[in-house]
Amino acid sequence: MPSLKQIAHVFTRYGNLTFGGGSATIAVLHQELIERRKWLPEEQFVMSFALSRLTPGTNLLAFCTSIGWQLQRFAGATVALLAASIPCAVIVILVTVAFSQMQSNSIAQAAIHGAVAAAVSITVNTCWTLAKPHYKYGSRLRVAFIAVIAFALHVAAGLPAVQVLLIAAVAGFLMPERQQ
Amino acid sequence: MKILVLYLILLKATVTSFAGLASLPVVRDELVIQRHVLTDKQLNEAVVITRSSPGPVGLYVVSAGYFVAGLPGAFAGWLAMVTPALLIIPLLLFAGRRAEHPRVKAALQTVVIASAALLLAAAIPLAKDALVDYVTIGIAVASLALLLKTRLDTLWIILGSAAVSVVISFLPLLKMG
Repeated sequence: MPSLKQIAHVFTRYGNLTFGGGSATIAVLHQELIERRKWLPEEQFVMSFALSRLTPGTNLLAFCTSIGWQLQRFAGATVALLAASIPCAVIVILVTVAFSQMQSNSIAQAAIHGAVAAAVSITVNTCWTLAKPHYKYGSRLRVAFIAVIAFALHVAAGLPAVQVLLIAAVAGFLMPERQQ
Repeated sequence: MKILVLYLILLKATVTSFAGLASLPVVRDELVIQRHVLTDKQLNEAVVITRSSPGPVGLYVVSAGYFVAGLPGAFAGWLAMVTPALLIIPLLLFAGRRAEHPRVKAALQTVVIASAALLLAAAIPLAKDALVDYVTIGIAVASLALLLKTRLDTLWIILGSAAVSVVISFLPLLKMG
């Protein structure tokens, strides 16, 4: 059974330093935890992954918390969560400070303009990434219907985002998809 | 703005979303529209910052927190980001079996789809703020095409867009010279 120090080491090293979002990091962690160190069986890894998708917030952090819990209960979960979130948060703060100070430089401004335009596309693309796994043959109409209603409730009816999500949860619970 | 209030607002956003940027509509609703402590420009920048530094996308709340209230705000953002992760422990203990229940599954699916639609709605004002001329519109269209059609890492798309924008900003000078 790995020590808390070893858990901290693995999640600091592999939980923070990956670009390109959660799935890339999870692939790296799979290699480290299952293939190299054999800290836990594959089924526990997969269950952590599935449950992390159902946990609110950042899936990757829930995933790390779950692995930590299975290794060392509450202490392991806490260590994994802190190790996976503090270093990258510190980097983000440093970049944010640098960002605020570069505003007056004209080259930096041009770069920021370009990068911010790309960020809009990244946000739009994320919409599709979220909806895509559900947009399957037989469910397309259902997905489109939910999306249009949610969009209209928020934009046209002016309902706050949280209320739209709560309505969505209740509607989904009351109208489950027919099993194929 | 009180740090505890900021934490609770950001927590409300993170705890009602199931993916990094999905919390953005709530953050925008509360901090940009209702309380005016954050601007659309800063929110856009927060997204850029987290996409061009390592770690999960959900980190943008740390950056947004910093824009609202400096270091204490960033701390509130970090705390709001990590708090929901602890919910996986009760899930592990109790819900492992029930998560397969069709009604629970359907509720989660509907929430995910609705959050995608809300994110699209939130992207509209962000686009109005960021896409101000042919250059930025061109960059956004090209980036979206690359994101949809290739597996190129978003870091390269951001760096590439920044580089293109810098080069184009020099073009008028080149013509005059």
